[in-house]
Amino acid sequence: MIERVQCDILILGSGGAGLFAAHHAYDRNPNLKIIVAAKGLIGKSGCTRMVQGGYNAVLHPDDSIDKHFKDTLKGGGLLCNQELAYTLVSDAPKRILELETKMGCFFDRNPNGTVHQKAFAGQSFDRTVHKGDLTGIEIINRLRDQLYSKESVISWDEVRGIDLLYNDDHSAVAGCLMLNLQTGKFIVVESLALIIGTGGGAGMFKIAAPSLEKAADGMAMAYRAGAEFVDMEMMQFHPTGLLAENSRLNGGVLEEGLRGAGGYLFNSLGERFMEKYDPVRMERSTRDQVARAAFMEIQAGRGTRLGGVQISVAHLGRKNVLKMFPGMVDRCKDVGRDLSIEPVDVSPTGHFHMGGVKIDKDCFTAIPGLFVAGEDAGGIHGSNRLGGNGVADSTVFGARAGDAAAEYVTAVKRQKVSERQVELFVNQTMKPFTLEKGENPFQLRKELGVLMWDKVGLVRNGADLKDAIAQLADYEERADRCSVSGVKQYNLAWHEVLNVKNMAQIGRMIAIAAYERTESRGSHYRQDCLFQDNENWYKNIFMTKGQDGPVTVTRDVQFTHVQPEQLFGETARSMVSVG
Amino acid sequence: LEGNAVAEVNLKVLRYIPDVDSEARYDSFTIDAKENMTVLDALFIILSEQDSSLSFRCSCRLGMCGSCGMIMNNKEGLACRTKLAKLGSEITVRPLRNLPIIKDLAVNMAPFFKQWKRIKPYFIPNEAAGNDFAVIPPESGSRGIIDRSIDCITCGACYSACTMVSLDDSYIGPAALNRAYTLVADERDQGTNQRMEIAAGEDGVLRCHTLFNCMEVCPKNIVPTWSIQKLKSKAVATALKGGGSE
Repeated sequence: MIERVQCDILILGSGGAGLFAAHHAYDRNPNLKIIVAAKGLIGKSGCTRMVQGGYNAVLHPDDSIDKHFKDTLKGGGLLCNQELAYTLVSDAPKRILELETKMGCFFDRNPNGTVHQKAFAGQSFDRTVHKGDLTGIEIINRLRDQLYSKESVISWDEVRGIDLLYNDDHSAVAGCLMLNLQTGKFIVVESLALIIGTGGGAGMFKIAAPSLEKAADGMAMAYRAGAEFVDMEMMQFHPTGLLAENSRLNGGVLEEGLRGAGGYLFNSLGERFMEKYDPVRMERSTRDQVARAAFMEIQAGRGTRLGGVQISVAHLGRKNVLKMFPGMVDRCKDVGRDLSIEPVDVSPTGHFHMGGVKIDKDCFTAIPGLFVAGEDAGGIHGSNRLGGNGVADSTVFGARAGDAAAEYVTAVKRQKVSERQVELFVNQTMKPFTLEKGENPFQLRKELGVLMWDKVGLVRNGADLKDAIAQLADYEERADRCSVSGVKQYNLAWHEVLNVKNMAQIGRMIAIAAYERTESRGSHYRQDCLFQDNENWYKNIFMTKGQDGPVTVTRDVQFTHVQPEQLFGETARSMVSVG
Repeated sequence: LEGNAVAEVNLKVLRYIPDVDSEARYDSFTIDAKENMTVLDALFIILSEQDSSLSFRCSCRLGMCGSCGMIMNNKEGLACRTKLAKLGSEITVRPLRNLPIIKDLAVNMAPFFKQWKRIKPYFIPNEAAGNDFAVIPPESGSRGIIDRSIDCITCGACYSACTMVSLDDSYIGPAALNRAYTLVADERDQGTNQRMEIAAGEDGVLRCHTLFNCMEVCPKNIVPTWSIQKLKSKAVATALKGGGSE
């Protein structure tokens, strides 16, 4: 017998989005039965904890919402859903204040005792609130701790979502099939509303930054359930992932503040190569530009022995580096380097998916009962996300999802989940135990990483993408042929099968959208289309599940607040070379 | 180990499935260790190439989440930040102490978080102070040693290493008391009295025998003993004043 649990709101994920959703839903209505479930330990899994640099919010009188908004749109190549981006920048100051005054965070201060804000790339004002250079620990620790004061909120450690469950007439989401990693047992949760905030799948790239368990689970579940997606081709690579040959440390981000504070990037010839790519902003150019520049230097044979470039902050002074970036200094020690006195090898690293489920500003999706927040949602950041806008996104939209879901559940009736679906999904999930001598899921994941990196990564072209699309469909099938053995409790191989399947599905969506976008913009760069096409490509690519895989539809960007002319001037409607 | 040098490393890894095995055993694995490799890397090599039934917990792999606490050559630490080269060619890996095993190296953190919860780890804001950022100059010293104590990632290493916890698991333990200190020392927080009652109570700070085991193993270089001493001083001062608030 499968365990059955009923609740009002089920939240998948315990990062900034999931925990903020839980807090806000509870605050709105403490009588609701709320379950927060995470694939890892609550508050420990996911990437909010891994935030280093900080949180963009307008606090200073000389800064403005308008400036932050325009920075965000400009950074996003004007593809952003302007309603969502405006919501992000408008709510961010409220959430950072809530973090300090309600959750107990304490961010770094200026000498006069006011909140310090540091420099990040692509911003017209230094607005990044932070706690040293490991800001996420403070944010997520406090969000987790604060949940202990709300005892009715149920926390489930190491329980992952498998698939969303509809009601019998398929008109609304009625729950979720869950799998407890610790016991290896399924749980059917019947919920009135479901909030997905599990984070993206940048880990599908060979070199990647996210925590290891993240596998695009939320997006893949939403895709299979029929949700609409947007901007899937837009995958951010952070320019400065630490290179740690042979170790899983590889790809861990060295924070953007290093560049913000005046750090240099060198190729193996000792040249500050950003001079060639963005002579005005140099290393403080946006992530898309810097990451691609570094990648091209490496491709051109001007990389280091480890296949990277080097970041150097030694010229800022040893004492300053130790004071400003103790966490980064500590991390570089793990590869035997002293960041305060010498350069360190870095490479672009898979980091953040701008694309995701299409939502409105209260995180409603096209599926009744399904809310999505954080990295799983798309459209907020357009073609490139600014550093410091990520944790702002997850907290702002997590809070809104919690508020909206708490309202929503008071107006809907409880529905039975489709038993047919339960049976189907359970059988699918158990399949690896029925096979013998199938594929090794760890090997499959490795191969997937290489394919995504080589053909769907920083520099793309039509032929490679076409090839990748075909191969990725095959990966989904290969994932179905994986075999696992042993007990079901804490069976990591079994979970890796589920991970690879989810990542291959989302990877294929990325490749399809990337193939369709015949221009270069933001993080999406086509060597067979070396131009930003402002005549024809102020468009978003939307995607849903069809009979034989993803089906796309292209719609014009709605310039509801700002017109291209206001940001891009003369080039607002023309083809701009990006070669 | 430098560059592409390879060294053979033998790992003895504790294996145990509570429902199935009558007792725990050690399985031996040999891997080729390369530069920069950590215990976590070694476990992944074993899992993906030698024995897919091995269980362990990890997440961020950068020392930020505190998921991969374990005991390596008799010392607690994070697997993701413990270099093979530092441990030598014979390495024994076992789960944290004082916590029940779920399977192999993965432990149930419930006892740790039960104690954590007891000290009311959440912020209790002063509603009267208004809803704005508190103005606190860093040089004022008013936040005591909070900055050095606040980055606890609840990995459980100190809870495993603490002799007093091993002797009696009703002791609140180093991590939770450290968290209590960071709230008590926070001038914005209003929960000091309730929290001190627990911290100074029979399961609290007075049980610490200043053995510094916690400090020895903390991957974040926090010194819980120091926070505990601060709480002890406060408890004594409060008692001398005849109780009540400060």
